[in-house]
Amino acid sequence: MKEKEIACDLVIIGTGMAGMAAALFAARRGLDAVQVGITGELGFASGPLDLLGVHPVAEGRMVGDPWQGIARLCRDEPLHPYAKLEIATIRRAMEDFLAFLQTGGYPHVTLGARNQMLVTAAGTRKPTYAVPHTMQHGPTALAHQAPCLLVGFEGLKGFSARQIALSLERHWPDLRPVRLPFPDAQGELYTEHMARSLDAAETRQKLVDAIRPHLGDAQYVGLPAVLGFYRTERVLADLQQGLGVPVFEIPTMLPAVTGVRLRELFEQRLPAMGIRPLWQQRVLGVQRVNGGRWSLAVGYTEAERLVVARSVLLCSGRFFGKGLHARRHAIQETIFDLPVVQPVDREAWHHKDLLDPQGHPINRAGVAVDENFRPVDHQGNTLFPNLFAAGSLLAYQDWMRQKCGSGLAVATACGAVNSCADFLKQVAPA
Amino acid sequence: MRLTYFAYLAASICLAGVLYRLGRWFVLPLGPESLETTPLRRGINAGRAVFAAVIHPRRLALMLRALLLEVAGQRQILRQSPLRWVMHMALSFGILLLLLVHTFDDYTVARLFSDYAATLNPYMLLRNLLGLLALAGVIVALARRWRDPVIRGTTRRADRLLLWLLAAIVVSGAVLEAAQIVSPNFFDQMVVDYMGSDDPEEIAPLKAYWAKYFDVAFTPPPAADAAALEEGAQLHADYCASCHARPTSAVMAYPLARAFKPLAATMARIDLETWLWYAHYLISCLALALLPFTKLFHLLTTPLSLMVRAQGPAAADAAVNRPARRAMGLDACTHCGECSRHCSVAPIFQVIPNREILPSEKLSGVARLAAGRTSPRTAMALAEGSFICTACGRCTLWCPSGIDLQDLWAASKKDLRRSGYPDPHGWIRRHSASQWAEILAGHAAPAAAKPAVCLTDNPNTFWACVQCSTCTNVCPVVAVSADPQRDLEMTPQQVMNLMRLQLKEAAMGARMVWDCVTCYKCQEHCPQGVRVADVLYELRNEACRRLSFAQERRASNPNRTTIIPPASSEGKPGA
Repeated sequence: MKEKEIACDLVIIGTGMAGMAAALFAARRGLDAVQVGITGELGFASGPLDLLGVHPVAEGRMVGDPWQGIARLCRDEPLHPYAKLEIATIRRAMEDFLAFLQTGGYPHVTLGARNQMLVTAAGTRKPTYAVPHTMQHGPTALAHQAPCLLVGFEGLKGFSARQIALSLERHWPDLRPVRLPFPDAQGELYTEHMARSLDAAETRQKLVDAIRPHLGDAQYVGLPAVLGFYRTERVLADLQQGLGVPVFEIPTMLPAVTGVRLRELFEQRLPAMGIRPLWQQRVLGVQRVNGGRWSLAVGYTEAERLVVARSVLLCSGRFFGKGLHARRHAIQETIFDLPVVQPVDREAWHHKDLLDPQGHPINRAGVAVDENFRPVDHQGNTLFPNLFAAGSLLAYQDWMRQKCGSGLAVATACGAVNSCADFLKQVAPA
Repeated sequence: MRLTYFAYLAASICLAGVLYRLGRWFVLPLGPESLETTPLRRGINAGRAVFAAVIHPRRLALMLRALLLEVAGQRQILRQSPLRWVMHMALSFGILLLLLVHTFDDYTVARLFSDYAATLNPYMLLRNLLGLLALAGVIVALARRWRDPVIRGTTRRADRLLLWLLAAIVVSGAVLEAAQIVSPNFFDQMVVDYMGSDDPEEIAPLKAYWAKYFDVAFTPPPAADAAALEEGAQLHADYCASCHARPTSAVMAYPLARAFKPLAATMARIDLETWLWYAHYLISCLALALLPFTKLFHLLTTPLSLMVRAQGPAAADAAVNRPARRAMGLDACTHCGECSRHCSVAPIFQVIPNREILPSEKLSGVARLAAGRTSPRTAMALAEGSFICTACGRCTLWCPSGIDLQDLWAASKKDLRRSGYPDPHGWIRRHSASQWAEILAGHAAPAAAKPAVCLTDNPNTFWACVQCSTCTNVCPVVAVSADPQRDLEMTPQQVMNLMRLQLKEAAMGARMVWDCVTCYKCQEHCPQGVRVADVLYELRNEACRRLSFAQERRASNPNRTTIIPPASSEGKPGA
């Protein structure tokens, strides 16, 4: 196949939370950016956007004020990617990101300087910074231990209202589970199909009719996160009006509707903002060409085009996103073969106890960067002036246990795009 | 002349063949309409339809217009490719006019012009020019069949042999004429017949004149002094000029004659020109006899087809007339291959090497099916090809013979279903996935029949699958099902799971695999880049191949009729 060539200022590799945030910031800064990646992985976003939920991890201490928490984290772990940014920068990045979601018709709700406590599908409670508006009444109801009806559906795997209620018995005694058939569906249910069918008013009415007889004295109704796809505000309003009480979503197992909502939002809005998408394609090869520019072979199974870029921002994620690959003896960065900060050998990847509260060394493996988010070698020397990295790929963090995934993605994407824009300004345009 | 018998024989074969082929238009079962009528009624109704069209001024005008623009002017071919148009015009007009002014000259030009002689101008020049024209047409046609990759793929030996046959007729004619020009034997014969003299003294001046001006190769060459030539000219004027122009106007044969001159003595000794005469005559007879049994028949049928086409599509015909029209369509095909070149699903042929996918090839499959000359294997292949067709109608639009192919395919699909060869989806509905697993397990296709790219046998295709169910979540087929387990038996991610375990047969008969609409959402959304849709597609093709082999084995072993067992009474809902 004949390869077509595209020239641009910046290639963003990756379409997860960090890649999408980077594309958003790049578009806002007017950079001529191409984005490459398989967007399906954003379906693994569960809804809540964490900033910092737990610190220190080993103690499992939940963070009340995430901003104070970040300040403390930066003191305790000066190598943490957050420590490369001013608190004000992180704050502004989050504000920009949330404003974008708001404009896109999928607003998120924060309590400002306080984390909110969210109920999960497993019946645990988790501190988080922002939640989709569809989930906003959940933390309030939990905080007040208000009488609440929790609806599960026959055929929906991984979401048992009864299990959630049992697990939360101590924290929320007035949570009453019920299991109902989903309107017009039999057999196994899939959240995306449920959400799409709730976009139709008819299904919403049937659902309201099905739930109402069980309402009793409930002041809230909780449901799995399937309340519509494109019209969440409408779906939520109709259900609340029909039931007469506030309704909220609880995150489901992944991939989740919450993630796909984000994905579709980005897919629709980013190209309109000037991002040139090469979605559902991957970087299959990379070369440094004249003038230090990067030439990337892009395609699905074979190279379909060459993208020649003045700079690259790597948001390729960790093992699931295939940014990192665990070989027999070592962990590799998959696209540039960058040096990876990692335990000396395989034996040190994990502690003996799988559920060790402090996490495992491999969880903090990743690509180390300088203050401008440019990957560095093991001596700390910057490798390339025009290669940047952001998101979960970065070393010295454990986003899952620290519950800082979204914040880390958005903030480091913002930092990296800023540095990249500065770099592009300094160097005369090609 | 004994040869005339051959001509009569060829003409009789031709006539009988034409009648036979025409008769079949009213007998061949093509489409469900043929079940509700008889050959007699089909014949009567066709006659009525023709009569009705001829007496109706507007419809007659339409037919005459088609005759002028489409038949004589070949407008459809001109629209498609000017070069092809030039080729076909040269070939058709070259051959037709040769028939008129040369082959049947006794009945045409000789009747019209009392002074006609084949060796006079303009007839000699015209014959040679027409021969060159036809030959040029044959050469371009052969080049097209060789150069265009699609056309080369669909070209059969018969297509090429017929072109070579036409070339042989023209070339043998030209060589014959050249041999006659240089032949002293022929000269002697003519002198005896027309001058009535065998006195060498008397003939010598004419010999000298003809050796010089008509290129006859005498051995030894006659003396050519001025006096002899003058006398020869007088003799020529008296005895020859009324029938003979100088051979220089035989633009094709004359250069050949010049080339033959050195060999003339040998040619005369073995009487080559007589043998050439036999050859030319017999090859021409052969072509005549073959006419109704080869695509040469299109000389008669394509004009008819184009005139009928001008009346409207087959769907507008009375039901009773449709089978005959379809049969006429089968006979009007010139196997030019343009339909296959523009077929929307022709690219599938690159992956599934079943020729019945291509419309130009499927047509003969349909003809065999109608004639009852199919084996289970070929019928399966025809069914597969027929049901890959998306009925986009491009073949009909492009057909220069005006065949309503779309109608033909619609009818043949119904015929296939009726004769027990429904689309593969139809087969699949007969059993559940687990029943199919057992059936198909015994019929793995031989390695040679495997496609070049095989995803499903390669574990690397699935290694990244984490069973996250994204494919199932985005699948519109799962979405429209009220109960996927019941309607589809498996969801895409469950199919992928079976594939991870290399339980190919268990997945092959699942309704999910067969109901996949190949929208590729699963594949595009898969966070791990698994080629889900490609895998489903491949499974379907493999099952088809296995069904085909199963059918073949059943055919070769009549005692085992239960390779594909009949659907059980507790079959699947909706089956």
